[in-house]
Amino acid sequence: MLNIKSLSKSFDKGKSFALKEVSFKLEKGDICAVVGESGSGKTTLVRLIAGLERPDHGSIELEGTEVSSIKKLVSPEKRKIGLVFQEYALFPHLTLLENVLYGISKQKNKKQRAKEMLELVGLTAMENRYPHQLSGGQQQRVALARALAPNPSLLILDEPFSNLDAMLRMQLRSQVFEIIKKTGVTAIFVTHDTQDALSVADEILILQHGEVIQKDAAANLYIKPNSVYVASLFGNTIQLNKELQSAFECPLNANCCHAIRNESLTINSECEYVTYANVLKKTFLGDNIQLLLKLDNGEQLTVLTKERNIADKIKIGFNSKDVLEFTS
Amino acid sequence: MKKLMFGMIALIMFNSCKNGSNDENSQAEAQNQEVNVYTHRHYEADQELFKKFEEQTGIKVNVINSNADELIQKMSMEGEQSPADVLITVDAGRLTRAKDQGLLQPIESETLESTIPSHLKDAENYWFGITKRARIIAYAKDRVNPEELTTYEDLATDKWEDKILIRSSSNIYNQSLLASIIVNNGEDGAKEWTRDMVENMARSPKGSDRDQVKAVVAGEGDLAILNSYYVGQMLNSSDPEEVETAKKVGLHFPNQDGRGTHINVSGAGVAKYAPNKDNAIRFIEFLVSEEAQEVFANLNYEYPVNPNVEPAPLLQEWGEFKEDTLNLSKLGENNKKAVVIFDEAGWK
Amino acid sequence: MMKQAGSSSNIFSIKYRLKRLKRDSNRWSIFTLAIILFIALPIISIGVKLFAGPGETWGHIVDNLLLDYIGNSLFLVFVCSFLVLLFGVSSAWLVARFEFPLRKQMEWLLILPLAIPGYIVAYAYAGVFDYGGSMDLIFRWLGWDFIRIDIMNKAGLAFVLSISLFPYVYVSSRAFFLNQANNLLEASTILGVGEFKSFFKLMLPLARPAIIAGLILVLMEVLNDYGAAQYYGVNTFTTGIFRAWFSLEEPETAVYLSALLIVIVFALILFEKWQRRNIKVSSARSNNTYIHRKSSSKFSQFLILLVVLIPVVLGFFIPVLQLIYWATLTFEKVFDLDFLMLSLQSFGIAILTAMITVLFATFLIYFSKWSFLGFIKNIARMGILGYAIPGAVIAIGIMIPTLAFDKWLIGALDYLFSIKTGLLINGTLVALVYAYCVRFLAVAFNPIESTSLKVSNTIPDSSKMLGVGNLKTFFRIEFPLIKTGILSALILVFIDVLKELPLTLILKPFHINTLAVKAYEYASDEMIMEAAIPSLFIIFTAALPVIFLNKLLIKK
Repeated sequence: MLNIKSLSKSFDKGKSFALKEVSFKLEKGDICAVVGESGSGKTTLVRLIAGLERPDHGSIELEGTEVSSIKKLVSPEKRKIGLVFQEYALFPHLTLLENVLYGISKQKNKKQRAKEMLELVGLTAMENRYPHQLSGGQQQRVALARALAPNPSLLILDEPFSNLDAMLRMQLRSQVFEIIKKTGVTAIFVTHDTQDALSVADEILILQHGEVIQKDAAANLYIKPNSVYVASLFGNTIQLNKELQSAFECPLNANCCHAIRNESLTINSECEYVTYANVLKKTFLGDNIQLLLKLDNGEQLTVLTKERNIADKIKIGFNSKDVLEFTS
Repeated sequence: MKKLMFGMIALIMFNSCKNGSNDENSQAEAQNQEVNVYTHRHYEADQELFKKFEEQTGIKVNVINSNADELIQKMSMEGEQSPADVLITVDAGRLTRAKDQGLLQPIESETLESTIPSHLKDAENYWFGITKRARIIAYAKDRVNPEELTTYEDLATDKWEDKILIRSSSNIYNQSLLASIIVNNGEDGAKEWTRDMVENMARSPKGSDRDQVKAVVAGEGDLAILNSYYVGQMLNSSDPEEVETAKKVGLHFPNQDGRGTHINVSGAGVAKYAPNKDNAIRFIEFLVSEEAQEVFANLNYEYPVNPNVEPAPLLQEWGEFKEDTLNLSKLGENNKKAVVIFDEAGWK
Repeated sequence: MMKQAGSSSNIFSIKYRLKRLKRDSNRWSIFTLAIILFIALPIISIGVKLFAGPGETWGHIVDNLLLDYIGNSLFLVFVCSFLVLLFGVSSAWLVARFEFPLRKQMEWLLILPLAIPGYIVAYAYAGVFDYGGSMDLIFRWLGWDFIRIDIMNKAGLAFVLSISLFPYVYVSSRAFFLNQANNLLEASTILGVGEFKSFFKLMLPLARPAIIAGLILVLMEVLNDYGAAQYYGVNTFTTGIFRAWFSLEEPETAVYLSALLIVIVFALILFEKWQRRNIKVSSARSNNTYIHRKSSSKFSQFLILLVVLIPVVLGFFIPVLQLIYWATLTFEKVFDLDFLMLSLQSFGIAILTAMITVLFATFLIYFSKWSFLGFIKNIARMGILGYAIPGAVIAIGIMIPTLAFDKWLIGALDYLFSIKTGLLINGTLVALVYAYCVRFLAVAFNPIESTSLKVSNTIPDSSKMLGVGNLKTFFRIEFPLIKTGILSALILVFIDVLKELPLTLILKPFHINTLAVKAYEYASDEMIMEAAIPSLFIIFTAALPVIFLNKLLIKK
């Protein structure tokens, strides 16, 4: 339903690229998360799809029609895309109901539809209030209702939860995606938080410096990251460099990079590769304890563990099946 | 409130359109009903006369008031389409310039030719003087012996060092005065005169003619050079202080033993493309009629050009004087030269 | 990787760029260009004359006058900058930061000097210090010897211009102090930094962009002044332009001088733009709160009031009292029914012009926003250059293209339909309003632009994503949000048009007159006292909206 081919955008006439040769496809009903650090081109990608920015190269197809190419551009208001911004962007001088009605003013049963949408996000009682009278989470729900009201073929959420605090964020995240799944709309969800992405997306697309690093189903990405960068996005990883390899006495393919997830490390149990280490420092982090270790060959290493009783000298190790191997 | 506002705007727009269309129609059908006047003069006397003219002839007088320079620029740009019928300026120099730029036309009028002395009009009848003013000297009665005052040329001698008050050289009356000196004494003589005058100034030139008189009374200098009719106006000012001030100076008409006091005219000419030429001639004839000249003389303290009309009683008190009969067209011809000489001498 | 590098350089080839240019030019790009062309046409018509070379007196001007023009203009720029900053910033800080008696009244009184045309202030002050003037009378009444102060010189001119123009700086710096300063002030108080030190070390450097934005407007007005400089006998670029044009009879030379002036002003604008780069950094944190006022001892409150009163008294009360005194002397002579009609006309023209100018400014800002072409946005700013050009020069610039159009139209009508007409644009309200528009676009542009920048882009973007086009989005979403900016712009243009003189003189139609022209007619005939009543009418007509403007500006 969405087909993007070698999309490029530069804001400085080709000196550097905000987005470079990005291509991917989405099927109807998919929920795809776009993950990347700030400056990775996420927002540019979103604005290009929405038509708010014009690409320098490449094409975008939406439901089988080309909406953006080098020759042609369909203006944003005709693309039938719903967009929810990080800062909600509600119209401050309109009530909630008027905000939701805004995009469907030409429809027949607009009042009814708007009320349905407000009900969906659970804000029926506040329909006559103004945005500034609402909390951040409530505002974001209105923004969602407003975006969904015209029945868009594609819904884009640009960092929708990053202005909210942690508790509210988890709660709202599940609410929002429940609503999205209920409506069955195809959605792109932009975030810098992998937790967000993993918890709701069917597919995840990873952007770095304007290029797609990897796109895969959420579970696959975790198991088979294609680079140290991707691996480290989804949890603590320890890169197995030459020194560490020699400490654990595990000779690995010298042409590849290797890493191991923190959680695959075992303490004081039998594994294929083991070594001994002195605990230099213990830092209590609540659910975890951070250990600064000095290995026998003098290498230092930081690991996290749930184990509470740690002696001064420990044995750590891992199994070969847990080693992640990258070709680059 | 809003309705009122829109109403007003609509009214003004309508008015201006109506006027616009009036101008158009005037060319086609209503030829006898109006005369369009571009004038540098904006005195009450003029407004009164325009009303009188309207009453007597039924010809409507439409006025645009601005600097003569800008009016000339406007006429030259408008070209054949210019709605102007009559151009009135406050000096002969600008009229000569308008003539040179081909903006005026010669007219034949028995009345004008017989009424106006020949040195006060263009030799080829492109323009006619309507009022006269003399450039005279006002002196501090308590400090200056009037016997010592003789000529413009004398003002440049060491005798008057740091004593003279005069306004900026951007003023047209000063430009005309210097132009007359160029004609009479030659360019080199004029340059010398200007240089010495700058030496003699009590302060750097600023303010209006009236301000020069005030400065004399305040003791900044002893002599002021100004136009005769400003003294008349000061003596009849709404401000009692100004009347008092004006009473404290004596007046001298220079060069009585030689060529006569420098005079200038306020004059009028008919525009080359005047849509209402006949009305224009009638209008100028009216302005030099005895009736109109009385008004100029008595309301504005200008000297009439019509020899049959006496100046205002106040001006008569100052006595008769001999005027420079240099043809005023010469002033226009030498105006630019005068400005250059001023600049070179550092006369601000 | 190699393939990508190859293609990325390829997509910025000329061919690709042209393709994109074709794709990205929408009707808004074309509209923006059309408006800019419309506004720039008179300026271009003048500019074209530059290629004809200067007249023969150019050498004469360079030899005898240019140094004086440059020297005096620079003197005015420096002294006015100093005085304007002194009056404007200090009063803005005191009014924003401290509680003192009559503070609310002072807030709007400090803007009122804007309502008086600069040349009128100049006449009034000359009247105050003149022999037989008000000071003289007062001293005589007190039985003292009159010490005559000569104000009619360079320094006096700088004083008069500063005292009538400082509100521009007051308004812009006060806005900063009210809305942006609070967090920083609290921080510096916690750190134990004294009031004086935190003002000089912290507030001044931070408020600099706001202050300079106001200062640039002041300097443009200073460089543009004709009436006051002429009367006080100070030769500046603008008096020089008039001298070259009219006394030396060389329009070409005048154009050269204006071009030089425009270069100076352009440099000022560039400077302002350059120093504004920092503003993005400093205002990025927008969660500032409205300033908390400090109250101090009765005595220091009284002192503050005195200090704030100085510019109000100098810039408003003294000239107005002088004018009122003159008005009582000449009331019977000047005031009649015709005069009332003339005031109404003046008022109507100012409102009409304000609305049209604001409309154009809004079009320009939003059309260029909706255009996707980067250079269009830069070009749009060119529209504000008209403010830098003397009114008389703009008037001539307007006449060149409109007359050409008129003549073409007359020819065409005659040829096609045998209809004989006169000039259809020149000498009508159309040409006059067009000229005002060119001159005052900058005045409308700034407040609208700055309020529109406060509306986050995501708001109109959201509207577009909901299927609503640009124009509808503007009317339904943006217009309600930038209303205050539009109102401020309307008021400012209204006041400026009321005060405008040289342009009005040249372009006004028959039968239509304005208060400023009336005041000038009297003043140019040395009947300055008679000019008092029209001047007072200008002041009071402008003062009411100024007070209202103040209400708009202090609202958050």
